[in-house]
Amino acid sequence: METNKELESRIAEVLQAEKENKIPRMTKLDYIIAAVITVITLLGIIGGFFL
Amino acid sequence: MSRKHDVNKEIENEVYCGTLPVLPKERKYGFIDALLVLSGYCIATWSYTQGSYLATLVGFKQLLIGAFLAAIFMLMIYQLPVIMSARYGIDIWIWLRSVFGPAGNKIVTIIIIAVNFPWYAVCCELFADSMENLLGLFGIQLFNGAHLVLSLSCVIIGTIIALRGVGTITWTTRILVPLLLLVGVAVVIVGFTSVPMDVIWNYQPELAGDADKTVNYVLSIEANFAFVITLVGGMAEVPRLCKSERSGYYAGVLGQGAAGSFFVVVGAVMAIAMQHVTGQMVDDPTLMMATLSAPILGLSSLLLVAFANIGTQAVGSYIYGVMLKSTFKKSSYKVLVLVLGIYVALLCVWGKITEYFGSFLTIGACVYAPLAALLFVDFFLVRKQKIDLKSAYELPGHTAYRYTGGFNIVGIICLALGFGFTLVIYDPIKGIIHNNWLFMLTPTFASFLFTGILYYLLCKIPFIRDYVICKGPDKRPFDRAKTPPRQNLFFMPFIWLICKFITAPYKLKIDKHNMDGIKPPFLVYGSHNSFMDFYVTPLALKPYRANYISELEGFEAFGEWIYRQVGCLGTRKFINDQMLIKNIMKVIKRGDVMVIYPEARYANVGTNSHLTPSIAKLAKLLKVPVVTINMQGNYLQQPIWNLKERKGARLHADLKCVVTQDEIGKLSVDEILSRISKELTYDEYKYQLENKIKIDDEWRAEGLHYPLYRCRKCGKDFAMTTKGSKITCKYCGDSYEMDEYGQLHSESGEMIHIPDWYEWQRAFVHEECREGKYKLDIPVKVWALPNSVNFVDCGEGRLVHDNSGFSLTFDNYRTEKHETLKFPSSSMISLHTEYDYRGLYGPCVTLSTYDDTFFIYPTDESKDVFNPTKIQFATEFLGGLYT
Repeated sequence: METNKELESRIAEVLQAEKENKIPRMTKLDYIIAAVITVITLLGIIGGFFL
Repeated sequence: MSRKHDVNKEIENEVYCGTLPVLPKERKYGFIDALLVLSGYCIATWSYTQGSYLATLVGFKQLLIGAFLAAIFMLMIYQLPVIMSARYGIDIWIWLRSVFGPAGNKIVTIIIIAVNFPWYAVCCELFADSMENLLGLFGIQLFNGAHLVLSLSCVIIGTIIALRGVGTITWTTRILVPLLLLVGVAVVIVGFTSVPMDVIWNYQPELAGDADKTVNYVLSIEANFAFVITLVGGMAEVPRLCKSERSGYYAGVLGQGAAGSFFVVVGAVMAIAMQHVTGQMVDDPTLMMATLSAPILGLSSLLLVAFANIGTQAVGSYIYGVMLKSTFKKSSYKVLVLVLGIYVALLCVWGKITEYFGSFLTIGACVYAPLAALLFVDFFLVRKQKIDLKSAYELPGHTAYRYTGGFNIVGIICLALGFGFTLVIYDPIKGIIHNNWLFMLTPTFASFLFTGILYYLLCKIPFIRDYVICKGPDKRPFDRAKTPPRQNLFFMPFIWLICKFITAPYKLKIDKHNMDGIKPPFLVYGSHNSFMDFYVTPLALKPYRANYISELEGFEAFGEWIYRQVGCLGTRKFINDQMLIKNIMKVIKRGDVMVIYPEARYANVGTNSHLTPSIAKLAKLLKVPVVTINMQGNYLQQPIWNLKERKGARLHADLKCVVTQDEIGKLSVDEILSRISKELTYDEYKYQLENKIKIDDEWRAEGLHYPLYRCRKCGKDFAMTTKGSKITCKYCGDSYEMDEYGQLHSESGEMIHIPDWYEWQRAFVHEECREGKYKLDIPVKVWALPNSVNFVDCGEGRLVHDNSGFSLTFDNYRTEKHETLKFPSSSMISLHTEYDYRGLYGPCVTLSTYDDTFFIYPTDESKDVFNPTKIQFATEFLGGLYT
């Protein structure tokens, strides 16, 4: 029961933190940068076939 | 306090704290911190093995592309879901419960460890190689089998360190990472200075005659995909400690993709340099340094590499031991670490892990690729970045991820098909390519795509999507105010046909009395014996359609739409449901027949319950004729205490108008009640005996101990058991045989009428209540039924019943509090009981509020003192139904 109480209170705090964005989210820019890097690496891998 | 106790306590604490969500204020890592930690994990000595393996496949330029670009490409995709770990402070092992279910997650954990742990056998092999090579350099010849002894000694020492627990592992890690960095720096310096740069830059492997350059390049990309994807198991616990999603994500990508890959390239440089100098490709940094620089440098590096391999083995045993412990909570940490040690030892005894390095990498990736795809698609496309944390942690009443017996069948099938799909493309053991086109995508990436698309498409199918998403049980209360539709006209022929078909074997006979000229609207009160009542009544009322009152559990069992179409009004038992009265009035106002079973519960022993004046008051309120339907044989055909059908039963029904339209305004409530009660008085065993209805099923008495729970001889409650046609006291052995006409016979020849025994028991309960001695206080299991859709598991609670009424203490899902609901005795004239609910769940009683019906079952601890009949007797007495 003690374990559950500790767990429940942590879950409540984490969900509250999510609402308040206490842990900064990935932004659109972050996703765009990730997509660009992914495409560049993919092109690089494809380029490797011609070496 | 003993050392043993210390370690166990530490591990318990580690497991406990290691699984709880990490709060924002507890986060330790920024991007740089997380990058260093993850880099440290990636630069184990196996990086050299990976590097030298790649050097056997492709030239240096392609090797660079594979090591960096392929690794980063795969990491950019499969690391994306770790933003969930950072957001909620949980690791992927908790989250995987939503993808596979808690039980499925256990199996997946074992599979992951099984395919991952050969990495540690590689460490042990490297340790043994280093030792052998260096001893050889000093001219020391080893005996046969020395290699195995050396590799096993690495396993043993690593396991012993892991067994010593958290403190030792922390110190090991602190020493291990700098040592590995030191070795790496030494290898880089020696590797790049001992051979000309252009030798390395222009390196091309010597390929066998039938080897294809393109295939080798694909294999090298595959090896890099597999290398980074299979390391996720050990790295899964870091992102939850990060202060932002971005830092968790990019640290994962660069920790493996840059730092880890750099050491892979270092391993390749070392191998290329060794081949250039000695003509032999090796993956042992010790041998390389001894050969390319000086033996003394090799000797120094031996100590570093030896400790590094043992340390890696120890840290691996610890990480996966804790992971297993968090999954199998009851198992001992030490036993789990020993099992892991034995597993690695067996791989060492096999001795071919280095030879099959590429195969084991691909097999590992066969599992990890679909797993990564499921995580990606599940989080971003199916759940739209929302996870039910309470269900993931299996908190009481939160069952969204319980799926089918703890397994998410869809997730597991996709994982299995994704695994199979890889094998369809490529055989990693024999190195045979089955499909050239798909092989160009690499087996790992093809499997990733296949599994992701399959899972996504499956989740587009509505019923699968509902199953997978499972937002948790629907907790919205049933809409009691919703106007009930008329019985569907198109359904009527089918309803009559089905009713005819089901009642035909029992030769149903219906007699109608005073029914001439009685046309809807009118009110019907019926006796209530079994589900058969719902098949007999429509036939008796034919050609009119009717509406029926039904407890919500029927809606849940058959579906709300069907129940609405057959004209049912949903309610909860033994509450003052004003909405129900309004709906009854609507039914009558629109000119239909309203059927009510006023006893509100099946007859326990085939006899009627007392009726209350409220039913006569309702009749006066509605101002319509009152008809009764008294059904005989329905109880005999399927008594509530044993739901097997008795083929020998014969059905009969009397439909009678007891109050005409003219009389309804003139008669008093008592007069109306008297007429209804008279017509709804019945005794099924008397009916059976008088009509010589023979029921000769051998099991005919089984279950009778539920209504007849008290021994007539020794007077003990909950004493009776039944088998075949006998009911016997388990204490004094007093026994009765149930004959084929429903009468009980003692061994001494006494004949007992079952309802007499039943009523005899009731008197004792009344006496207990009068004397204030009646009290039930037991642990129970509670399930709530809020609506027509589903039950909600409320876990274990406590039920207290005494003269003041019921108190039910439990985790109330509606308020999310552990609280006590009170049901005063004066508010309930009876309660609903089941002896074996739906033939599956055993005995229970129900208590209702306006928005919930609580089904209350005994636990293993209380099952011997939980008897619905006795609870019902007390409730009816305390509620004033009997005085």
